[in-house]
Amino acid sequence: MTDEDYLDADADLGFAPAVVDDAGRTAATAARRRGGFRRRAASLAVLIGALTTVGGGYAMLAPSSGADDTAATSQDVEAGRQLYNTSCITCHGANLEGVTGRGPTLVGTGSADVYFQVSTGRMPAPVQGALELRKVPKYTEEQILQLGAFVQSKGGGPEVPAADAKLRAGSDALGDGGELFRLNCASCHGATAHGAPLSAGKVAPDLYRSTDRQLYTAMLVGPENMPVFSNNQITPEQKQAIIAYVQTMKQAKDPGGAGLGRIGPVAEGLVIWTAGLGVLMVSILWIGARL
Amino acid sequence: MSTTHSTGEGLTAEEAARLSPEEAMIAGAEADGVYIVHRRERFPIAGTKAEKRAERTIAGVFLLGFLAAIGFIVVFCGAVPYEWKLPGAGNQNYRYFTPLVGGLLGLSLACIGIGVVLWAKWLLPEEEAVQDRHDGASGMTEQILMGGTLVSGFNDLGVARRSMLKTTLGLAGGALGLVPLVALVGAMIKKPGRGEGQSLFHTPYKAGVPLVYYDGRRVSPNDLQPGGIATVFPGVEGGVKDSDSPTLLIRLKPGQTVKARKNQADYGWGDYVAYSKICTHAGCPASLYEQKTGRLLCPCHQSQFDVLQDAKPVFGPATRSLPKLPLTVEMVDGKQYFTAKGDFPEAIGPSFWERP
Amino acid sequence: MTTTSDDLSKSPTVKGPKRFDKPRTPIGKAGRWSEDRLGAAGGMRKQLNKVFPDHWSFMMGEIALYSFIILILSGTFLTFFFDASMSEVRYDGSYVPLDGVEMSRAYASTLDISFDVRGGLVMRQIHHWAALLFMAAMLIHMFRVFFTGAFRKPRELNWLIGLGLITLGLVEGFAGYSLPDDLLSGTGLRIAAAIMQSIPVIGSWAEFLVFGGKFPGTVIIGRLYIVHVLLVPGILAGLIGAHMALLIKQKHTEFPGPGKTEQTVSGERMYPTYGMKAGGFFFIVFAVCAALGGLAQINPVWLFGPYNPAQVSSGSQPDWYIGFLDGSTRLFPSWEIRLFDHTIPPLFWPTLVLPGILFTLAGAYPFLEAKFTGDKSAHNLLQRPRDVPVRTGLGAMAITFYGVLLISGGNDLIAKAFDISLNAMTWAGRICLLVLPPLAYAITYKICLGLQRHDREVLEHGIETGIIKLLPNGEFIEVHQPLGPVDDHGHGQLQYAGSKVPKKMNELGNPHGSKIRGFFYPVREKSDIQAELDALAAAEARGEHRQKELTD
Repeated sequence: MTDEDYLDADADLGFAPAVVDDAGRTAATAARRRGGFRRRAASLAVLIGALTTVGGGYAMLAPSSGADDTAATSQDVEAGRQLYNTSCITCHGANLEGVTGRGPTLVGTGSADVYFQVSTGRMPAPVQGALELRKVPKYTEEQILQLGAFVQSKGGGPEVPAADAKLRAGSDALGDGGELFRLNCASCHGATAHGAPLSAGKVAPDLYRSTDRQLYTAMLVGPENMPVFSNNQITPEQKQAIIAYVQTMKQAKDPGGAGLGRIGPVAEGLVIWTAGLGVLMVSILWIGARL
Repeated sequence: MSTTHSTGEGLTAEEAARLSPEEAMIAGAEADGVYIVHRRERFPIAGTKAEKRAERTIAGVFLLGFLAAIGFIVVFCGAVPYEWKLPGAGNQNYRYFTPLVGGLLGLSLACIGIGVVLWAKWLLPEEEAVQDRHDGASGMTEQILMGGTLVSGFNDLGVARRSMLKTTLGLAGGALGLVPLVALVGAMIKKPGRGEGQSLFHTPYKAGVPLVYYDGRRVSPNDLQPGGIATVFPGVEGGVKDSDSPTLLIRLKPGQTVKARKNQADYGWGDYVAYSKICTHAGCPASLYEQKTGRLLCPCHQSQFDVLQDAKPVFGPATRSLPKLPLTVEMVDGKQYFTAKGDFPEAIGPSFWERP
Repeated sequence: MTTTSDDLSKSPTVKGPKRFDKPRTPIGKAGRWSEDRLGAAGGMRKQLNKVFPDHWSFMMGEIALYSFIILILSGTFLTFFFDASMSEVRYDGSYVPLDGVEMSRAYASTLDISFDVRGGLVMRQIHHWAALLFMAAMLIHMFRVFFTGAFRKPRELNWLIGLGLITLGLVEGFAGYSLPDDLLSGTGLRIAAAIMQSIPVIGSWAEFLVFGGKFPGTVIIGRLYIVHVLLVPGILAGLIGAHMALLIKQKHTEFPGPGKTEQTVSGERMYPTYGMKAGGFFFIVFAVCAALGGLAQINPVWLFGPYNPAQVSSGSQPDWYIGFLDGSTRLFPSWEIRLFDHTIPPLFWPTLVLPGILFTLAGAYPFLEAKFTGDKSAHNLLQRPRDVPVRTGLGAMAITFYGVLLISGGNDLIAKAFDISLNAMTWAGRICLLVLPPLAYAITYKICLGLQRHDREVLEHGIETGIIKLLPNGEFIEVHQPLGPVDDHGHGQLQYAGSKVPKKMNELGNPHGSKIRGFFYPVREKSDIQAELDALAAAEARGEHRQKELTD
């Protein structure tokens, strides 16, 4: 693939990001709001032309890797609609417009948000309320992508990266990835990715079970109370570096023995009082006289 | 008392030389005011099976310690690699080096310690001794003589009646005594705020200073999405490293409005606001931002600032709102970039005495 | 026998190996050599014969002493590799995830010790674990001294020296873990700068003096290094020396018991028995530090990254012994004093005033207690905690107060682990801090009184043997074993003497009150107890005691 095949000059994503404006609305709806039939017709023509070029170019030149899950076929969208009507429609509405008191609108959230929420099991939510905790996902990867394709087709938004997209930088980017992670992520997720509580019962989760794609989509989308880190702010290369750092840190062995959860001084204090002093108190009772 | 010999004071060297070591010990102890009230050999008959068993156990413990020490040396000198490797990039056995080294060292030390204690408990004679304390004040005679010695010396010095000497020595000594303190403190003391970049009330931000990311890129209003947050710095020399400069640039979501402080309503730009990242409580970066609620949490002592109330502290020990940076944009090559309209209007970070 | 001379060469009877003036063995010759020069035979024998009571609770101070030695040894190793410079370098060592990152030389040299010096990581970890152990041991030793009243006259000075040791230990530990200049300890250093700044009137001057300017400056790591390897260890060594010297001069206290008086101390002689046990224990303490140093990772600074004032990790805590100050800071409300264009920040009270009050109260306690109890006499015998319920209650109150602060220092980790709201944890800490200590006092006081009553009850009525007897009139009684002679009503006449009262049949016959058999070896063997029982029986046969067999 060459750079010209993409609308966006950002390299190596493997997908064409949808064109969105600041409020997350697609060009189509923005054009509608601007009014003027000719202008609307013209923008529509441009849009269709651009999409055809990109989509066609991609379809011709993309390496087929079995399940080509970025080119959202109409079968995918239809399958996604079925899944949506089973699990999501009650709270998110028939047209993704949301239901007051139950669920927010999904227009403009994109397949990336769907991927993150459903692949971490947060959605479909069994109860209302705090949704930060990861659960066992209800759907398979293929189903999640179909659901995402459906939501994407209805309202646009940030797209989930392809299965063969490069999401993790090489080991030469680890230094930068670490610095970016510590500056932007560690304050909520912890320097060792152990997570932290937020105010009044909310939680920034640990990253121990996050996959590359989940990390990427989370940064892109900013689920729940997590801030949105758009690709202009933290570029895709920087995201890849962060992902490389997090996954490497998770997989790296602890050279100093048992890691104690990599929690820090609290765990170490507990160990010295229980294991350290515990063993020594037993030996004291053994050596010394009893009264 | 189980001794039947006379105390050490009465013994001549000849008599003492004829005592067995144990008798000599008892006599010497008595001379030191220590009385052995109970002493019993644990194995009065040498060479019993029980004694041999005890000896063998202790010897076994020492032997284990020896083996552990050898193991330590072998592991330490290269039997196990210690160089760190990336996961998947080769032999990960380095993670066993430190545990083996520490564990074997600990085992060896423990064996020596346990062996020695077992020796004391199982093989040494069981003994109980009582010692006179002879504590409390010295005898009255001694105290009186000591007092007299002090007073006599004092009289010799004649300090009492040589008041001129006393005063001048006191002056000299007192002043000299102050010298080390003055020298050290005087060398270290610095007037707060004196010096380039040392002001407690100013940061490197000035009117027209661009906002940059950590890597030096300028910040554009298109960069953040609503609900996004970025750490930005003043785009001047050393701005990225300056400890007072870290700034939080926040893009509010649609529907979120900031109830601004007095005279600071125009500090934001569009749906952007910028606050000092340095918590006003104890100086940690307060950067846990909840984009839906607009709460900013500091991880150190859980102070919480409400961005929608212009970063006013709403929970925890912080007492002052985060200082707000006045923002504007300028056009460069057809693209908009953020600049500061001026410095923060107040001192950033934790409060201090001189802060009004 | 008529010669009184020390010259054994003239003696006709003393020959052979007993010729002390002409030794033949190597040890004998060495002894002669040093004795001719030092003349220390009498003095040394006196020290070797010193008697130490060997109760187990007296060994906790030893843990602190031995971990100090381990800290010196492991710390010396580290000084050969550590570079306390704040100059910025780009990392170029074995740990790839930090490759090319800008950091201070202090942090880079710490990474070198951890990854590029053979055995460096285990030494760093032994050093850090020993530091945690040092502080914990001092704390439990202090509480043992407190609860048994060992701080009373003439040992008030030693109590104050001990408090000085704890304070210096806090400073030393803080300086030590701040040396690597990593993100976690750097955050703590930032807070320390803010604490200095918060002092009224002189705060900003104090901060500028210590840091050589605004935080962080370029000198603080170097200054902390000298404080950590020279100044404070020197003062610590001196104070420990004074602490031990006072102990040697005043001799150790001991628990009351049969044969124990205020004018004597009983136990084991230093050489060989007590020395062996103490020496063996040193190796055991060292073993625990070494094992922890290898098996449990501590302070993995490579995961935290170098210090950067714009970065922070959630779940940041100081080492456990500073944790109570973190807790007090988190719990203290947002109360700021502003007067006439000046501010006293809220940080001042929980970080400086509170520990100041706590340490002052602790230091003044021996004198306050002497004043309030009117007890001006010297004491060498200890008290059982139950016999001084007010002091024990106050101690329980202090421990509860400290414990709430310590736990609150980690309240964000607890909130995350147990899904509790962070705000609720803060409020819970504030309420518990005020409510739990008085509650602890009341409960402890009552428990002490109850234990005292039980002691006297057993002295009066004997031990409950657990044997139930059916009397002819149908009444069930439990057979009690009296502890001594009884009067006409069957009540014991022994007075409580401050020592442990046997509560189980198993503890009878052993004057030290402990059980006859068990893993923890008793002081007396069964044959001696039998001998004493025989002597008692003989005395009874002579009609010296009147004992009733059954009592209820």
